[in-house]
Amino acid sequence: MNSVKNYINGTWSDSETQEFGEVWCPATGEKIAHVPFSTAAEVDQAAQAAKNAYWDWRCTPPLTRARYLFKLKDLFEKNFEDIARTLVTEEGKTLDEARGEVRRMIENVEHATGVTTLMTGYNLEDIAQGIDCTAERQPIGVFGAIVPFNFPAMVAWWFLPYAVVTGNTFIVKPSEQVPLTQTRIFEVVDDCGFPEGVVNMVHGAKDVVNAMLHHPDIKGISFVGQSATARYIYKTCGETGKRVQALGGAKNFLLVMPDADLDTGMPSIITSFYGCAGERCLSGSVLVAVGDVYARLKEKFVAAASALKVGNGLEEGVQMGPVISKKHQEKVLGYIEKGIKEGAKLILDGRGIKVPGYPNGFYIGPTVFDQVDPGMTIAREEIFGPVVSLVRVKNLDEGIRLMQKSEYGNAACLYTTSGKTAREFKYRVPASMIGINLGIAAPMAFFPFGGAKGSFFGDIKGHGREIVQFYTDTKVVIQRWT
Amino acid sequence: MELGTFGAVMGFAAQLVVQSADFYATASAATKNATLESLLQSLAQDARKDVATMEQTRRENVTEMILEPIAGLVREDYAIGLQPPGADAEIVQTGLRLEERDQKFFRDASARVPLPEVARVFRKTAQRKEQNISRLRALAAAVG
Repeated sequence: MNSVKNYINGTWSDSETQEFGEVWCPATGEKIAHVPFSTAAEVDQAAQAAKNAYWDWRCTPPLTRARYLFKLKDLFEKNFEDIARTLVTEEGKTLDEARGEVRRMIENVEHATGVTTLMTGYNLEDIAQGIDCTAERQPIGVFGAIVPFNFPAMVAWWFLPYAVVTGNTFIVKPSEQVPLTQTRIFEVVDDCGFPEGVVNMVHGAKDVVNAMLHHPDIKGISFVGQSATARYIYKTCGETGKRVQALGGAKNFLLVMPDADLDTGMPSIITSFYGCAGERCLSGSVLVAVGDVYARLKEKFVAAASALKVGNGLEEGVQMGPVISKKHQEKVLGYIEKGIKEGAKLILDGRGIKVPGYPNGFYIGPTVFDQVDPGMTIAREEIFGPVVSLVRVKNLDEGIRLMQKSEYGNAACLYTTSGKTAREFKYRVPASMIGINLGIAAPMAFFPFGGAKGSFFGDIKGHGREIVQFYTDTKVVIQRWT
Repeated sequence: MELGTFGAVMGFAAQLVVQSADFYATASAATKNATLESLLQSLAQDARKDVATMEQTRRENVTEMILEPIAGLVREDYAIGLQPPGADAEIVQTGLRLEERDQKFFRDASARVPLPEVARVFRKTAQRKEQNISRLRALAAAVG
């Protein structure tokens, strides 16, 4: 069985470690590869390679650096389908979802090619008599990204293109659950011909994370994952003096007003909750019915959820794949049990779903709880699976108060035909990504991605224009020649 | 079976044009009529371009944020079983059936797919299919 390799200083290498993890195909329940839990010494090798490559790369004109990304974009287009299929095999999402993810990855590369505009500073003559001032953006050094399982291709590329195009060098640590996709992507990166050491990849788990957090030559960390880990990453980077952006978990509310157009909105409401089997930080989790929309919403939602085709994501036409692992499947099933115990009414039961041909896959069918009290565990904690809590409130105000009480603040969505209601919602809701009449409020590459409250630790979010600030220092130069 | 996802619609679109491309390639080798052969080679070349266009359209327009179910397109409505190419007149008639089928699919799908760029590609393809139908009809009389 294959074991993936690290990519350090432009060379593929086997880890020296004796510890390995297993990589599974969630659709079939089969083991498909091994992943090395690389050592701190290997992180150091990557950091040294990145550090050695830094100065020459930093002195390379931004437009020349951007040309590597133009070439990389073309190579990604050529390898698009293969990357998407690799992703489905190890992550389990559907082929359409995987293609959408790879598309978003490429969009970040495309956006980063605008470095000659994005990275410019500013200046002012005569800040005092005969004295001029410029503010210039300079790269900083070696950066790293620690990325999650649920978007094995895309998330590393929320960061890498911007870090590299602004003149930094980079180390990626993919999730140990899904190392194959990023490995396939780095094969393409290798073909692109970046100078040795500019981009590096080290596979592993906790030891690699801690080695990156404590390495003196790594100047900043981008992280996406669970909130508890995000908090730890943020704290540790604070202690070790690194820049940090740590994106955490979510508990997203999707609120439906009585005036909402349910027929138009239902496909996107369903996609919000069950797309990627509920394993995304923008997924809806709590469906909030305002006033008398409750009965209509429940009926249409359950009918649409029941009609979803669950199966192996490689088969076109499948609308929802399995969850990532047996362990995660058990965790989600545990939440369903907890919901029942705490008194919620299970009106669509996804437990025990049979997918023909894949008896060992990690499947959970669409699941809906009705009569969910906001204090119940299933309405408060991140489940990260296809489990929906239907909560009924009297009015918009009560719905917004639910979101204000949540410890998370990633995304929130509203369905309405009233502009006034939409304005009040986006104005008051304490989440950072707001969707109006859409269920996945996913900022594209040219807008910032990240939440609020327990969903985000840091200040500069992923991609968007702001990301350039994360990867550069603003040097102010004050000059007098008279 | 309903083509309920973006990928299923795009995959089916590619299958249709592949079927047309394969048929024209085989038929152009089978006919002894030089005019027909030239037309079939041209249609095969167009259909192969369509295959590349469909793949590119799928790759560039898949939008993770709005992967919503698509309703109203059923695979069986556009299925055509093909026999090996026979006489010239049969080849032309089969070509017409394929082009009319393709035209109908791309016209129908352009109204169902909620992505303007994809709908535009489908409409444009349907328009070209209309021209292909005219080209085949013009030849139909000549080959009997």
